[in-house]
Amino acid sequence: MEDENTPHVQTKFFTKQAQYSVPDTPFSVPVSAGVEELTSLINGLLTGDEPQKEDTEVIKFDFLVHEEFLRKPLNEFLDQKDISSETVLEIEYLEHHPAPQPENSLLHDDWVSCLQGYSKYVISGCYDNTIRLWSTEGEEIMTIPAHSGPVKTVQWITQDPDDKAPIFMSGSHDQTIHIWQWNIEKKEVDCIVTCRGHTESVDCLAVDAENERFCSGSWDKMLKIWSSASTAEEDTADDSNTTAPKKKKKTDHIVPTRVPILTLSGHKEAVSSACWLNSAEVCTASWDNTLRFWDINRASEKSQLQGPKAFFNISYSALNGTIVAGGSDRFVRLYDPRSNDGAVVKSVFSSHKLWIAGVAWSSTNENHFISGSHDSLVKLWDKRSPKAPLYDMAGHEDKILAVDWSLPELMMSSGADNSIKIYSYSETKQKIGDS
Amino acid sequence: MPSSTSTLPVKKIEKERKITQLPDEYEYDSSDEEDIRNTVGNIPMEWYRDYDHIGYDVEGKKLLKPQKGDQLDEFLDKMENPDYWRTVDNKSTGQKVLLSKEDVNIIQNMQKFKNPTGSNMYEPWVDYFSNEKMIHPISNRPETKASFVPSRWEMLKVSQMVHALKMGWMKPSREKTVQNEEEENKFYMLWKDDQESEITKQYRQYIPAPKVRLPGHAESYNPPEEYLPSEKQKLKKEAARGKPRLIPTKFSSLRLVPAYANYIRDRFERCLDLYLCPRQRKVRMNVNPEDLIPKLPKPRDLQPFPTTESLVFRGHKGIVRCISPDPKGQWIASGSDDKTVKIWEVATGRCIKTFKLDSKVKSIAWNPNPSLSIIVIAIETCLILINPEVGDKLLSSKTDTLISSFEEVEPQPDKPKVSEWNVYEDKEYEEGYRLKIQHQREISHVTWHGKGDYFASTLPKGESKSVLIHQLTKRRSQNPFSKPKGLVQCVLFHPIRPFLFVATQRYVRIYNLMKQSLSKKLVGNCRWISSMAVHPGGDNVIIGSYDSKLSWFDLDLSTKPYHTLRHHTKALRQVTYHKRYPLFASASDDLSVIICHGMVYSDLLQNPLIVPVKILRGHKAAKGLGVLDCQFHPSQPWIFTAGSDSTIRLFT
Repeated sequence: MEDENTPHVQTKFFTKQAQYSVPDTPFSVPVSAGVEELTSLINGLLTGDEPQKEDTEVIKFDFLVHEEFLRKPLNEFLDQKDISSETVLEIEYLEHHPAPQPENSLLHDDWVSCLQGYSKYVISGCYDNTIRLWSTEGEEIMTIPAHSGPVKTVQWITQDPDDKAPIFMSGSHDQTIHIWQWNIEKKEVDCIVTCRGHTESVDCLAVDAENERFCSGSWDKMLKIWSSASTAEEDTADDSNTTAPKKKKKTDHIVPTRVPILTLSGHKEAVSSACWLNSAEVCTASWDNTLRFWDINRASEKSQLQGPKAFFNISYSALNGTIVAGGSDRFVRLYDPRSNDGAVVKSVFSSHKLWIAGVAWSSTNENHFISGSHDSLVKLWDKRSPKAPLYDMAGHEDKILAVDWSLPELMMSSGADNSIKIYSYSETKQKIGDS
Repeated sequence: MPSSTSTLPVKKIEKERKITQLPDEYEYDSSDEEDIRNTVGNIPMEWYRDYDHIGYDVEGKKLLKPQKGDQLDEFLDKMENPDYWRTVDNKSTGQKVLLSKEDVNIIQNMQKFKNPTGSNMYEPWVDYFSNEKMIHPISNRPETKASFVPSRWEMLKVSQMVHALKMGWMKPSREKTVQNEEEENKFYMLWKDDQESEITKQYRQYIPAPKVRLPGHAESYNPPEEYLPSEKQKLKKEAARGKPRLIPTKFSSLRLVPAYANYIRDRFERCLDLYLCPRQRKVRMNVNPEDLIPKLPKPRDLQPFPTTESLVFRGHKGIVRCISPDPKGQWIASGSDDKTVKIWEVATGRCIKTFKLDSKVKSIAWNPNPSLSIIVIAIETCLILINPEVGDKLLSSKTDTLISSFEEVEPQPDKPKVSEWNVYEDKEYEEGYRLKIQHQREISHVTWHGKGDYFASTLPKGESKSVLIHQLTKRRSQNPFSKPKGLVQCVLFHPIRPFLFVATQRYVRIYNLMKQSLSKKLVGNCRWISSMAVHPGGDNVIIGSYDSKLSWFDLDLSTKPYHTLRHHTKALRQVTYHKRYPLFASASDDLSVIICHGMVYSDLLQNPLIVPVKILRGHKAAKGLGVLDCQFHPSQPWIFTAGSDSTIRLFT
C-alpha cells in the first residue's frame, strides 16, 4: 500500500485519554495519510499490545494537529498551515465523538422563541403569548397564558434539580418580566413577582451563579439588574394592574411588582443578549455591534469589544472563560474577554448560511458548543475546528430562533416551525475514564 | 638700408670704367687717372672754353684740347661711326669717351627707374637650412674640438642656478608650468549649447515618403491561375467605383504586354501624393485606458452596506406595494394588494399584527417621531391612521390620548373642506384604527413631516387639490396650492427646514412653506418621475424615474442633476436614503435593488461621492412588476425590499 517514494513525516502520538495511550516513540507516516489511516495505525498499536483479544472493535479517533482537527490528508493540512514536514509532528488523538441522536420533537401552536431545560423539564416561550412546560420525554405538562405579548425569553432560576417548587421567569414583548413558581406536586404555576421597568420588549434574561440576582436586556437599550428572590420586602403590591388581566384571573391574587436594583445604560441599540461572567460582571451583546462588560458592584461599564455586525446571542463558558457570539451574519465568533491584545476575535466559525440566532456552550465539555441559525440547522462545534463543525443537526423546517444546552446530555433548539427539537449528546468515554 | 644699396652700384660703375679706360693709361702712366687727366682741378670748365688747352702738365706745357671737328665731321662721324650713340664728352678733359655696353645698360636702367645694375633682386631662394633632412652635411667641416669641451660659462651658469635653487631663491619652474597648463587647458565645448529641444528634434525628424506597394502576383503579366478573375468577377470589378484597379490578365509572353495606359496618371498622382499630402508624424497618446477612469474607492472599503439576503417576510397574499420601518427599527409595516397591512418583527421575520382594510394599500408611512406610535395608510380615496400598539405601551397610550385630546373647533363656513375627518369607534378602535380622512380623489402617496404632526398626501388626479397637508393634532387639512402644477407624483418634507418638495411628472419644485413661495425648480433629465428621496442633511435629493434613471441633485450646486445613474434596465419604483449611513438605494422593475454609496461631505467644496456598491437580487417576477419599494433600516445598514412576489426581503 505504501509506496517507497511517498514522502514520510515523523509523528509522535499522544492523548489525554489514558486508556488509549500508546508509546511516544516517533512514527514515520506517509504524508498522504488521512484520518482513517491514522485511526487504523492507532488501533493497530492498541491491539498490538494485547494480541490475545480477538474481536476488538475498531475505535474511531479524531486527530488534533496544532490544536486543530485533522479533516483532510496530512500533506494538505500541513501545506495549508505552512507547517514544515521535516520536524517531528506532535499529534494528539482522542476518541471520535459519537454522533448526536435526535431524541424528541415537541410541537407547539406557534413559533417558539425561547426555551430552557432544567432537570427533567423544559420550558418554552411562544409567540402566542404562552409559556409551555414539557418533560424531556416530550410530554406536555402545562401551558401558561403568561403574557400579553409574545414571550421572548425564559430562564430557570432554580438550579437544584430536586426542588419541589422550582422558580423560573419569562420576559416578553409586553415589557414585563414575570417570575413564576411551579408547584410540581400540585401541578400549579403561580406568578409570584412581576418585574416592571423596561419600556420595550424584554429580550434576554440571565441569572447569576448564586441565584440571587438576574439581569435583563431589552430593546429599550437598557440593562437592568434585579433581585431574583422569590419574595422581597421592597416589592410593592400592585393593585392597579391593567396590563396582565389574564394572569390576574388565573392566579387570583395580587401580584407584587418589583423594580430593578440597577439600570445600566450605554448601549446605543437594543440589548439582545446578556450573561454573567462572575458574580460581579455581566457581558451584554447588542444590535449596536458591541459586546460590553459591566461591573455590577460599581455599576459602570468596564470595557467593550467592537464587533463587525449586530449581535443576537452570546454564550459564556465558565470552563474556558471565552464567549461565543452569533449575530446578523453567517459567522459564529469566539471572543476572549480576558485578552487585551488587538485580536479579540479568537476564531471565526464559518459553516452556517444565514444569521445565527442562538449559541450555547456545553456545560461539561470545554471545547464543544452548539449554534442555531436561520438556515434551520443546529451545528455542534469543537472550538478547535473552526472550518467544519463536528455535526450538523437537521430537523427544523424553518428558522431556528433559540438553542439551549442547559442539560448536559440534551441539546435543544426551537424555531419558527413551531417545534422544539431535542438531540442527545453523549460524552466520549474520556470523561468516564477521567472521573 | 637705402644708403648702402645706392653706394654699392656707384662703386661698381667706377670700377667698370676703370676696366674700360685703364689699359690706355697704364701704358704710359701708372699714377692715378684723375690727376693725370685733369690738371686744372675742380673748376668750372667754361673758363677754358676759349682756349685750346685745358691746364698744364708737370713740365708746364699746355695740355691741348682734343681736336674737335666741325658739324660736317660730326655728321660724318654720326653716320659712319657705329658707336657714335654711345660716345660722350668728358667735360673735365674734353676727350671723347666711348661708353661700354654695361654703362649703357646702367644708363638705360636708370632712365627706366630700375635698379642701375639691372641685377634680379628676386633670384630663386635656395633653402640650404631647410626642415628637410639632408643626407649630406651642408658643410664638410668636422666638429671642432672645442665643441667637445664642456663650456666653462655654462658650468658657471648652472652652478649659480643650482645654488639659487638650494637657497630657495629660485623656484623650480615646474609648478608654474602645471598652473599654466591648467589655465591653458580650460577648454569648452564649442557646440555644447547647441542641443535642440526634444520637440524641435521631432519636427526635424525626417518622415520618409510612403512607400509604393510593390506589385504582387496579381500585377504579373503571367499571374497564377487563382488570381485570374472569372468573367463575372471581371464585370463586377469593372463596374466597381473608385480608383480603377488593375484586373489581373494573363499574357503568353512579356512581348505581348501592352503599354500601361494609366502610367502617366499613376506617376502624377504619386507626385501629388509626395508633395501635397501633409506628412505628419502621428503622436500616439501613450495613455493607459484605466487611468482615464476616475478613481473610485473599492466597494469593500465602503462597508458596511447590505450584501446578502437574510430574511424573507412571508405572509402577504398579494403584491406588497409599500413598506415602512418604525423609527426604532424593531418593526416594519407593509401594505399589500391583499387589502391588509401587516406589522412584522424585524429580527425574526415574524408577522405580529395584521390590519384588514377595505381596499388595496397604496402607500404607508410610519410616524417618524419615536414618541408617537401611528401609521398612516393610504387606500383609494382615504387615509387611515392606525395605532399599531407594538413597542412601548406607554407611548401607544400617550398617542391615543393625543389623538383623542382633539377638541372640535367651529368650522369656518366660507372655506370649503378639502377632506373629511372621521373617528373610528368601538370594535375598530380596539383593533387599533383611529382616524379616517376622506379625500375626493385617489391618493397615491403619503408622507410624514419629521416632527410627526403634519403629513401630506398626494392625489395625482386632484388637479388644484393634488397636494394636501394634514395636521394630526388639529385634525385639519389644507391645500397649499391654488393652481395645479402638473401631475404630482409625490411630495416630501424637508427634514430640517420648512420646505416642501413636490415632484411632478418632469420637475421637482421646492416650496418654502413659511414664505409661501417657490424656492427652486429642479429639472431632471427624465420623462416621468416615479419617486423621490431627500438626504437627511436636506441638501441633496435623488429622484428615480420610469425611464430607468436615477438622478442625484445637489441643491447647493445646481438645479440640474449632479449625477445620473443608469444601472437599472427597467423602471425605477422607489429610491431611498439611509438615515445614518452614507447609502442610498433604488428599486426597480428589473427585480434588482442597487445599493450605492453616497457620501455627502460637510465641506461645501467637496462634491458628493457616489459609488454603486451592490446589486441585490432575490425577488421573483410576478404580474409584470418587480421590486416596488425599498426602505433602509433606521439604524442598521440593512435594507427591506417589497416585491410583487408578495414577499418582503431583508438584505444585510
